[in-house]
Parts: sequence; structure tokens; C-alpha cells
Amino acid sequence: MSRTTSPTDWKGGAMQARIAKRYAAERRFRLLGLLAVLASGAFLAFLLFVMVGNGLRGFTYTNVAVPIDFKAMPLTVDASRLGDADADQVIAGAGLADIVAFAADEALGDGGSAMISENAWKEVRTAIKADPELLQGSTVFHLPASSEVDIAAKDGGKGATGAKVDALERDGKLSTGIHWPFFRNADATDPAVAGIWGALKGSVLTIFIAFLIAFPTGVLAALYLEEYAPKNRWTDLIEVSINNLAAVPSIIFGLLALAVFINWFGICQASALVGGLTLALMTMPVIVIASRNAIKAVPPSIRDAALGVGASPVQVVFHHVLPLALPGILTGTIIGMARALGETAPLLLIGMRAFIGDVPGGICSPATVLPMQIFLWSDEVDRGFVEKTSAAIIVLLIVLLSMNALAIYLRNKFEKRW
Amino acid sequence: MTFNAAALLLLIAGLALIGWIAGRARSNLLAARAQAKLHSRPQYHGWYVALWLFAPAALFLAVWSAVSPGLITNDVLASEAAKDLPAFGFERGAILSDARNVAQGKQDAVRIPAAAPLVAPYADATHLYAWIGIGAMLALALAGGLYAFTRIKPDFRARTRVEKIVMLVLLLASLVAILTTFGIVLSLLFESIRFFRLVSPAELLFGTNWAPTSGAPQDDTFGGIPLFWGTILIGAIIAMIVAIPIGMMTAVYLTQYAAPRVRRWVKPLLEILAGVPTVVYGYFAALTVAPALREFAVMLGIPNASTESALAAGIVMGVMIIPFVSSMADDSINAVPQAMRDGSLALGATPNETIRQVLIPAALPGVMGGILLAVSRAIGETMIVVMAAGLSANMTANPFASVTTVTAQIVKLLTGDQEFDSAKTLAAFALGLVLFVVTLLLNIVALRIVKKYREAYE
Amino acid sequence: MTQDDLTISDPKMTAHNVNVFYGEKQAINDVSIDVGTELVTAFIGPSGCGKSTFLRSLNRMNDTVAGAKVTGHIALDGEDIYAPSMDVVQLRARVGMVFQKPNPFPKSIYDNVAYGPRIHGLAPNKSDLDGIVEKALMRAGLWDEVKDRLGESGTALSGGQQQRLCIARAIAVDPEVILMDEPCSALDPIATAKIEELIHELRGKFAIVIVTHNMQQAARVSQRTAFFHLGTLVEYGKTTDIFTNPKQERTKDYITGRYG
Ligand SMILES: Nc1ncnc2c1ncn2[C@@H]1O[C@H](COP(=O)(O)OP(=O)(O)OP(=O)(O)O)[C@@H](O)[C@H]1O
Ligand SMILES: [Mg+2]
Repeated sequence: MSRTTSPTDWKGGAMQARIAKRYAAERRFRLLGLLAVLASGAFLAFLLFVMVGNGLRGFTYTNVAVPIDFKAMPLTVDASRLGDADADQVIAGAGLADIVAFAADEALGDGGSAMISENAWKEVRTAIKADPELLQGSTVFHLPASSEVDIAAKDGGKGATGAKVDALERDGKLSTGIHWPFFRNADATDPAVAGIWGALKGSVLTIFIAFLIAFPTGVLAALYLEEYAPKNRWTDLIEVSINNLAAVPSIIFGLLALAVFINWFGICQASALVGGLTLALMTMPVIVIASRNAIKAVPPSIRDAALGVGASPVQVVFHHVLPLALPGILTGTIIGMARALGETAPLLLIGMRAFIGDVPGGICSPATVLPMQIFLWSDEVDRGFVEKTSAAIIVLLIVLLSMNALAIYLRNKFEKRW
Repeated sequence: MTFNAAALLLLIAGLALIGWIAGRARSNLLAARAQAKLHSRPQYHGWYVALWLFAPAALFLAVWSAVSPGLITNDVLASEAAKDLPAFGFERGAILSDARNVAQGKQDAVRIPAAAPLVAPYADATHLYAWIGIGAMLALALAGGLYAFTRIKPDFRARTRVEKIVMLVLLLASLVAILTTFGIVLSLLFESIRFFRLVSPAELLFGTNWAPTSGAPQDDTFGGIPLFWGTILIGAIIAMIVAIPIGMMTAVYLTQYAAPRVRRWVKPLLEILAGVPTVVYGYFAALTVAPALREFAVMLGIPNASTESALAAGIVMGVMIIPFVSSMADDSINAVPQAMRDGSLALGATPNETIRQVLIPAALPGVMGGILLAVSRAIGETMIVVMAAGLSANMTANPFASVTTVTAQIVKLLTGDQEFDSAKTLAAFALGLVLFVVTLLLNIVALRIVKKYREAYE
Repeated sequence: MTQDDLTISDPKMTAHNVNVFYGEKQAINDVSIDVGTELVTAFIGPSGCGKSTFLRSLNRMNDTVAGAKVTGHIALDGEDIYAPSMDVVQLRARVGMVFQKPNPFPKSIYDNVAYGPRIHGLAPNKSDLDGIVEKALMRAGLWDEVKDRLGESGTALSGGQQQRLCIARAIAVDPEVILMDEPCSALDPIATAKIEELIHELRGKFAIVIVTHNMQQAARVSQRTAFFHLGTLVEYGKTTDIFTNPKQERTKDYITGRYG
């Protein structure tokens, strides 16, 4: 009566064909999954490739060698005033710009002054301030080229300007170097002197303010909700508020800031202060949620142990729970701050899109931030700004990636399994 | 002498430190003298004094920093020298701020000659209010500190008091969230109501013609439908067509197929993708994707192909959302009990049959919630559409044409040079209100679904 | 051949010198056992001794555990189930499994039972499928309770009904062996009695291997009992012998409740 053969014919041809089909479907499905992952990877690689390809050029600049003979064209300034605070005005007033333009025409032929940046003379001025002796003789200055010449030189001499650039190249008058003004200056209308320092400093100030407000508030709120809050409708309301705020579009925070901070309170418009306040409101819910998760992960046994030796609830939290949750809280905070650092939309609405040619002096002076600088440059018609935009993106991405890497490092280092 | 809030804050922090040390020392001293045991450890007495010293003064400092500039300006305006000021507008403001900058030493000399006579009154008023402010602040600090100091006794329950204050601070911190929510709701409502006095809500919600900057105010129309359509086309249709399949398949691959080593590499990759700022995506869309798509459309002979196409913005937005969808799906799939998977595999199902017929249906509520959140994100996204989608309010289903969105219009309306109270700027708040309500509903529904789903498997 | 012979002349599954590792850790050490066609075999032993691990290696469910490795020889009808030519999908259809906690899919009762036949293509048309589902539910003793609500979700049933649904789901693909890992441990005594009754009825149609912590249950339902301890097979024999006259000291200690 034993039954040894199965009624289902697993070895039969039809069944084998079916199995083969099922395995084929399996392979296709798996491939599809792999393709999905690869698609994301490919997009990221393409994006980085484009940005780096465009942006690396933005870190260098073409200089033109222009000899200036101050004996032939004397700059009449009182050498004793070169150390003064208003030395810039003094030198400018003495007509240095004309001298440089004249020297360029002389050295580079007709239209030579158009081949160097209109701000090139400021480089000469800086050099003179550093070394007044220059005024006594003839020196070859390597001055920033005009944006057009710079692009033609980097493109290998194409177009109308190309021929002239080629000629300069052959004469050995062109050189390429790291574009220091890019790291030193604030925004400008001339790509030869436009830089990200102003925006970078604005970003640092803004984020610092956002951090100062959002971090303590967020952590304290998380402690309250996780450790003390009674279960009632107010607490529910707080929780719902926080969860929703974390998902509210960032531009809504811009509207809030415009209506409340600027129009009601009249806090200095377009400043790092308003920007920081806005981003603080935006980041706080993120910090609360991350902190709550970190606090939740601290096992109750630790609380019981501390309560058991007679610690008060406040002592339990500040002596035991908070230190244990801190790595997780910091990780969440860094990620939140990185997000705030890349944020543009709400800041557009509070006036931070204005052209700001100065490095911000304080938290109340007009400022811009790095992502905003990118947005502004992306709109510029001058072709020289294309590579500046990408270069600024590279800087921003490097900053953000380092922040995220730090967060991941913290998470991995301190991640505990209780 | 100017009123430097940061320096003063440091000053009272320093005083608070002294108060802390003094309070601590006194409690020790008293306890030793009375041979009694302290109820609270000495540092709590210290904290008690420090808090009493610091908190009222800091509060005053905050209030004073907010109101004193107004008081100063009032004084200056009341002075003789202010009589010649132009009555209104930009020039008046510029003159005043010029004079203020010189008076407060931020600038060496006036840039506008008319500001010169105002410098002295400004300086005087600044001095006056600075001294008043500092005096009042110090008085408050000392009064608070002394009050607390005199209350120290061995049996004084300093710890309980301090802890009460700490709890209060915690509660206040968590109220900030509610305050922000109310702030958003009220400010949007307030400005929107002003807008709806000029334009009926029905026009905004159901009108089909959007022309807020036609040139002549009486011709401006605020029909929102084209914007809503553009927002849906880009955020809810095109972006989701990109993000949902790729995000889901990524999650499936990572949770079910990938070796741990692969996961370790791909997860950070997705995190990078999620961490790229939107302005970078926007620039990429405008610089690279949009022109390529336009060329493609022209090649196909599609009419109205624009360099600012809905497709470019939508695709890039979709890519931006991929990590979000995939991590939500990842969580949902992981929340399905392992037993479910084992049950299917033990019946001889292949992994893909298990995933498609058991895991995904079981994870569906969670996935749906995640997708709703993703849609809410996409329709609130601003920079990509500002940079890549354009501003022309077209009602078209042609993805190669240009459409505009709610967020792009908010930015457009608020970054021009209008008066703040014009219908145009108010319209931005009304659009903001619509956006807020829609995303809020999406979020609430989504969070509720996700929560229900989590509970179902707990 | 009577079922009381210890030697199994025609074993359904044979295992020789089986070792199972989880990474470095060895969970099963050199176990050899034969499973008879018409017998119910019970695995008993203290918690963590490797019963589930060994059971799961019989239908290669251990493949789904990262880092698990099986050595030795396990055969179904003389065919090595770990051979490359063995198709694991078919193997699991032939060697079904019922888990400790009922795990119905969040689908209708009908779809739960129809799931296996559908993926394996066992029913050419709808009426065949209906027949399979009905027969499986019938055999699992659940038909009368659910025949009017086949469209309801399987998760809405009671725990005992869910477990019988899982058994129905397993037998719907017409397996040759059914592995049950503590199928009653999440159930109350009445539901447990129903399952035990079911096992009695299924005997003879399927080879059944059951892991249990309940000595009485092992004694009631099985004809062969294997006692595992610390990853080794201590004793294997007729259930009556094991419970009345164990050869090994350790077995005796365990079944008399000296340790567990
Ligand atoms: N996935 C796994 N990874 C690593 N070790 C495992 C894994 N599963 C089981 N083990 C280990 O293998 C050993 C045997 O486990 P197994 O689950 O087979 O025991 P069991 O006899 O079924 O116990 P119980 O009666 O409690 O179900 C245990 O020591 C266990 O810790
Ligand atoms: Mg077990």
C-alpha cells in the first residue's frame, strides 16, 4: 500500500518547460531590479560627470602677461598713504585703471584692453599695496583675461576671439592658474572676479544661526515628548504638528518667514539672521524626529536602573538617556543641517536672491548663501558663469557630502545594539 | 556706546556663572553652619541662583533688542533735524539707515549728504537707549540673583524648583512646533483673506486663465487651474512614472536579492542622491536634460517643444524622489514578517513570485503611504520647476511643452518689485495656502496609512 | 511491512552524516536518519538543539538563511536534494512545510490555498483549481467551517483555523512529505487536538515529520521519534520504545523531565 510515486509528474516535459519559464521570469525580474539600481547610479554618475566636467574649468583662469612701466606712465600717489585704510580709493583716484588699460593696448595690440578683465587693474592695485616699490620700475603683471578670452583659451581657440587668443598663446603671453578670486571674493558681474566667499560665509552664518536655534529646541522638544509628555490631546497635537511640519514643502516656510519675520517683526531683510531663523523652523521637526528615534532606542532598563538608585526623572534623562542618545541625535542633526545648507526655495522669498557684491559683515547685513549663488549664476547670460556655476556646485556638494559622510561615520561608530 | 546684544548676553552668562558659584558655596556654608543635611545637592542651589539671575535678564534683553531700534528711530524722527526728510519711500529709508550706520560706527562717513544732520541725533538716541537697556537689564539680573540667593537654606528644595523650570523649558521647546504650525496657518490665512477680498476664491480654484502680470492691474486674472494642472503633470504624473517603478524595484532588489556587500555600497549611493540639493537638480535639468529632450522632440516632430519642458522637470524630479520612494518601500517590505516570505518559499514559489504575489501585496498599504508622501514632496518642490519648467501657464498634456506650477508662480510673484499689498503678492499667499492644505491632507492620510500598517504587523 | 518495524525498507527521505553550519557555528553535527513513507516521525529535544535547523535542511529552507551551509547527503526517493540538478522550487513543492506560527498570506482563504497550485500550474482550469482547493480544505478539516466564506481574508480566521489553513495550503500542491515545525505551539488545546486528529488522517498519504516540545503529543501522533541534543541525534527509534524504554541516559532524563 505504499505510495512511492507522486501523482504530480514533476519530471514531465510540460512541467519542465513551465519551470524553465518561471526561472526565466525570475532572471528577468532580478535583472530589472539590478537595472533600477544601475539607473540611479548612472544618473548620479552622469550628474557628477557633467558638473565636474564643467566645474573644474571654473577653478582656473587664464591670465595675460602685461608689462607696465610706471616710469613711463607714472602713477602719482603719495607713497605714505598706501598703508592707509582708504588706500584703495587713493590709488583708484590716481587713474590706475587707465594706465593698465593703456599698457594692455600697448602690449597686446589694438583692443588689447578689451582682452583683459575690466577689473584687472584691481589686481595691480593689490600688488602695489603689497609692494610700493613696483611704482618705481617696470613689471610684467599676469592679469586676469576677459571672460571671452578666458573661454576661448579654455576651448582651445575657437571663434572670432580664438584667432587672437591663438596669437597670444604663441607669443607665450597666456598662462593658466588657480583662480584665487573665486575663493576670495563675493559675487560680481564680471566672471573674472566673481567668487563664492561671500556666499560661503553667508551660508556658514545662516546655518550657524539655524543650528543654534533648532538644535536645542529640537532636542529638548524630543526629550519632552519621549520622556515626560502626558498622553493627552495637547501632546497629540504637538506630535501631529511635528510630523506634518517635517513634510511641509520648504517654500511654505519661506512664506511664513516673509509674512512674520519680515513684514511683522521687521527683522533685517535678506540677512543671515532671517535666513537662519527660517531654516531653523524648517529643520527643527527633522531634529525632533531623529532625536526621538535615538531616545527611543535607549533601553528602558537603563531608566529603571537609574530610577532604582533614586535619581529624579530629570536626572535620569540628563545623566543617562541623553548621553546615550547623543550620537543618534547628532547624526540626525547633521543630516538636517546638510539639508538646510542645500535649501534655496524659502530663502528666495525673504530677499536673499538679491545681488550682493560684499562679503556679509554680520548676521544682520544682506547676505546670500551658496545654493542661492548657484541659482543666481545659473541665470547669468555671460558664458563665463556657466563654469562658475558648476564650480560652485562642486564646492557645495563637497561640503554636503562631507557632512553626510560625517553623519554616516558617527552612525556606524556609535550604533549600538542593545 | 551701542547696544550689543551678543556681548550683553555673554555678560549676564558670566554673572550667572558667578551666581552659580555663589549659590553653591552658600548652600555648603549654611549646611555646615547649621550642621544640617542639604535637601538638594549644592549645585542645584547654584543652578537655582543662576537661573533666576539669567532668565529674566535674558528675556528683557530679547525684548529690548526688538523694541529699542524702533524707539531710537522715533526719537530721531521727533528731533529738529528730521524735519527736512522726504516723507516716504525708499529715499527716506536710505537716508535713515545711512545716518544710523555712521552713528553706530559701521561706516566712516555718510554716503548721502542729507543724512549728515541726522547722525548726531542718532548717536544721542542710541546712547540713551543703550544705557537705559543695560541699566534695566543689570538691575533685573541682580534683583533676580539676590532673591534666589536669599532663599537658600539647607532644607530649601532647590532641585525640585530647578527641575520644574527644566520641565517648563522642555514644554516650551515642544510648543515651538505648534507655534510654527499656527504661524503658517495664520499668516497664510490672513494674507489669503486679503487676497480673496480682491479676487474670489472660485476664480482662483476654478478659473482657467492665469495672467497675474498682464501689465494693467484691472486685466490681471488669477485662474489657478493651469497651475494646478502643471503641478500635477510634473509632480504627480511624470515624476511618479519615473520614481515609483525605479524606487520600488530598487527596494525590492536591495531587500531581496542584493548581497550585503552590494547593499553596503548602494545605500550610501542613494543617500548621496537624496542629499544633492534641489538647486543642483534644477541646474542639471535646465542645462543638460531639457535641451536634450527638446532636440529629441524636434527630431520626432512634436509641436511646441520647449527648452523648458514639463518632461525635463518631471524626470529630474522623479530621480530626486527615487531614494525617498525606495527607502519607504524598503521599510514597508522589511516590515512584512519573515514568516510570510518563508511560507511562500516553502511552497516552492520563486523569489520573484514571492515578492510580487505575497510581499508587495502585503506591503502595499505602507508603499501607498510612502507614495502619497512622495507626491506631496514632488508638488511642493520648487527649485527644479523654477529653473526647468518655465512660467507659461499652459493647459497642455504635451510633456514636451512648457507648463508652470504653483511653486514656480509663488516664487515669480514674490520676487518681482511689487508693493507688498498688491493682488500679485497676496496671490502668492493664496497659492501657498492651497499648496499647504493639499500637502497637509496628503501627509495626514499617508502618515495614518503607514501607522495603521505598522501596527498591523506588530 | 508493518509500521512497527524499526528498519525502514523503503524510506522516503534519507539523511547521512548531515552537518549544518551557521557561519562558523555548527548547529547540526553528523546526523543520519531515515524518514519512512507512511510514518509520522517526531523530532524532540531541548530548545536550541537544532530540530528546526535539521527540519529546514530537509526542504532546503536553510538556503534562505545567509551564511547557512549544509554538508552530508540528504535524498528524496534516492535523489540527492543538494545536487546541482535538483530544482529547489520543485523540491519544496514535494516537501511541504508548516510553520510554528500560522502564517497565512494576507489574501482570501481561497487564494491562500490556490497559491501553490497556481504557481506550479497544477490546475489547467478554474474548476480543477476549485476542486484542488476544496479537496485540500477538506483534508485539512477546514472545509465545513469556511466553505461559505472562501473570499474572506485568511488572516481573519482564528489561530487554529489559520494553522489548518496553512496545512491545507501545503497539501494543495500535493506534496510527498510534510514538515511541521511545532505546528501546535501557538494553539489552545482544542485546536491542538484538531491538528493532531488531522495528522492521523494525513498519515498514509504523506510522510510527516513533526517537531514538538510536547512529549504527550509526540507519543500520541508519531510512530518514530528522534531525540536531538546539542546538535546531535542521540537516539532514534520506535516511539513506543523511546518513551517506555530509552536506551540512552540522556533520552531518559529528557523525557522524564529532568532537563528541557
Ligand atoms: N539564522 C541563524 N543564524 C545563526 N544561528 C542560528 C540561526 N538559526 C538557528 N541558529 C542556532 O542554531 C541552533 C539550533 O537552532 P534551532 O532553531 O534549530 O533550534 P530548535 O531545536 O529548533 O529550538 P526550539 O525548540 O527553541 O525551536 C541554535 O543554537 C541557534 O542559536
Ligand atoms: Mg525550532
